[in-house]
Amino acid sequence: MAIGTLALKNLKRNKTRTALTLLSVASALLLLCLLWAFLEAMQSVEGADDTRVVVRSAISLATLLPEAYWQKIRTIPHVQAVTPLNWYQGTFKDDRPENFFPRFATDPATLFEVFPEYQMPDDQKKAWAAERGSFIAGKELVDKYSWKIGSPISIKGDIYPFDLTNIVLRGIYTVPNAPVQERQIFFHRQYLEEAIGNRGLIGTYFLRLDTSDSVPAVVTAAEKMFENSDSQVRAETEKAFNLSFLEMIGNIRLLFGAIGLAVVISIFFITANTMAMSARERTGEMAVLKTLGFGGGQVMSLVVIESLAVGIAGALLGCGLAFGLVGALAKAAEKVFPVFSTISMTPKIWGIGLGVGIAIGLLAGLVPAIAASRLRIADALRRV
Amino acid sequence: MTNVVDLDRVKKNYRRDKFDIEVLAGVTFTVPEGGFVALMGPSGSGKSTLLNLLAGIDRPTSGGLSVAGQDIARLNESELAQWRHRHIGFIFQFYNLIPVLTAFENVELPLTLTRLSKAQRKVKAETALSVVGLGDRMRHFPRQLSGGQEQRVAIARAIVTDPDLLLADEPTGDLDSKSAEDVLDLLVQLNQDFGKTIVMVTHDPRAAARAKTVLHLEKGRLVEQEAA
Repeated sequence: MAIGTLALKNLKRNKTRTALTLLSVASALLLLCLLWAFLEAMQSVEGADDTRVVVRSAISLATLLPEAYWQKIRTIPHVQAVTPLNWYQGTFKDDRPENFFPRFATDPATLFEVFPEYQMPDDQKKAWAAERGSFIAGKELVDKYSWKIGSPISIKGDIYPFDLTNIVLRGIYTVPNAPVQERQIFFHRQYLEEAIGNRGLIGTYFLRLDTSDSVPAVVTAAEKMFENSDSQVRAETEKAFNLSFLEMIGNIRLLFGAIGLAVVISIFFITANTMAMSARERTGEMAVLKTLGFGGGQVMSLVVIESLAVGIAGALLGCGLAFGLVGALAKAAEKVFPVFSTISMTPKIWGIGLGVGIAIGLLAGLVPAIAASRLRIADALRRV
Repeated sequence: MTNVVDLDRVKKNYRRDKFDIEVLAGVTFTVPEGGFVALMGPSGSGKSTLLNLLAGIDRPTSGGLSVAGQDIARLNESELAQWRHRHIGFIFQFYNLIPVLTAFENVELPLTLTRLSKAQRKVKAETALSVVGLGDRMRHFPRQLSGGQEQRVAIARAIVTDPDLLLADEPTGDLDSKSAEDVLDLLVQLNQDFGKTIVMVTHDPRAAARAKTVLHLEKGRLVEQEAA
């Protein structure tokens, strides 16, 4: 029987306390993993290419910019391509959340220059460009609705006072490693323009730069270019632009981080206190072990192994629960909040969960373990 | 005959706040191999302190202290732990068995510090339990045993490593008279049949009467030595 066996047997001594400590660690790590999974999902939503910059109205997203800006922005040094994107709200089939997907009016000629990661056969690109009443869709969306090239769809407009009627699917694009990006459609900006009376208005301009080093210069140049106009602009990286949607409800990243840290620290102190209590109750026994010839290091490892076992078991339980919950959340998010449907317990999150569990176990056991190793046998036996 | 215990003017002082308290005031005695010594005396006379010194779990303030041929005052903590494991078997008043381990596992515990194989440990632990008459209680946990049985398991644990010196701190202090007799019979048997050297602290004159030699301590001094 090794010292490890004795440590594990000690855990059965007060089963209620062990179970409660284990559940505390598990619940903390469950929360930590969930928060981390959300943060990672946000990261994937960012989907961001660091050579892309978004130019939009400085007033709000709902304020549109003049079409004339397109060519002017194109002249800014380091800008290699510019494509306009107009958000089209509307209703597809019905109001159920699972039938919602992003729709954009854009320019077929420049979309793939700005988003080179979008992959679509050339013949489909040509077919889409040639037909104003057509659209392209991401493969995941196409699969979801079993669309085929040539399938017509209609979307009832709400913000815009017109419908997309029987626009025809002419292309299916894929975006490797970013399935979220495959859940949207793009149709001709000209179709939208004609429907609203050729007002020449654009929601956002997406710019592709030569290198990410050019971002500060382009952002400054774009904002400066229109600072004395009626429609001032705000330029920012695509990453910042995407995050601004999520951060409309506050600084989620900071909030999640703070909650996670607070929970882990609290649980560390709870576990440390429990381990200290448990070790203190067994001071006499440790003195007996030392009397039998066990060294300070062996008595120390007895306490550490015990604490570590609670940490690891708690971590496995917490991560396991998080795994199940995240899977369920991903399914639920598909219907109500598609951007979070990519949420998953990645190996990295498993690693973080288990690592934090091990760290809690080790650190929580360390102080009582050191105290146990330094225990003076005569003093401890006197207290028995 | 060599001496297993050799004390020469051993003093032990404790510091409590600003005060220096003298617990042992120059104790000198020897215990030969195969000896059975009972240490008697009132509370606070220094009996347990003396036993702790012999076990190497406390250090003398001054004086010579040789146990099992080793000047243990010279050993550091780690060396002392190893030395205790090889040479000392300790029997406590309240048995101090590990409650989550069976009788067998409690007895096997000191052997886990050796290089013995699992099978060898098993043979030794079972033998020790048989010697104390608990061959049929090996899978019992301490809570499933009577006080006398627990103390016999503790004795088996003390002898399983075949130590040079058995130290017993009030081994019958928590037992009824029948169990106390059984435990004393066992200690006598270990001394007479197995040649174990024993130093036993006791308040009980009947227990002391089973030893070969009785030492009386008072206020840290050896006041009387008698053959039982």
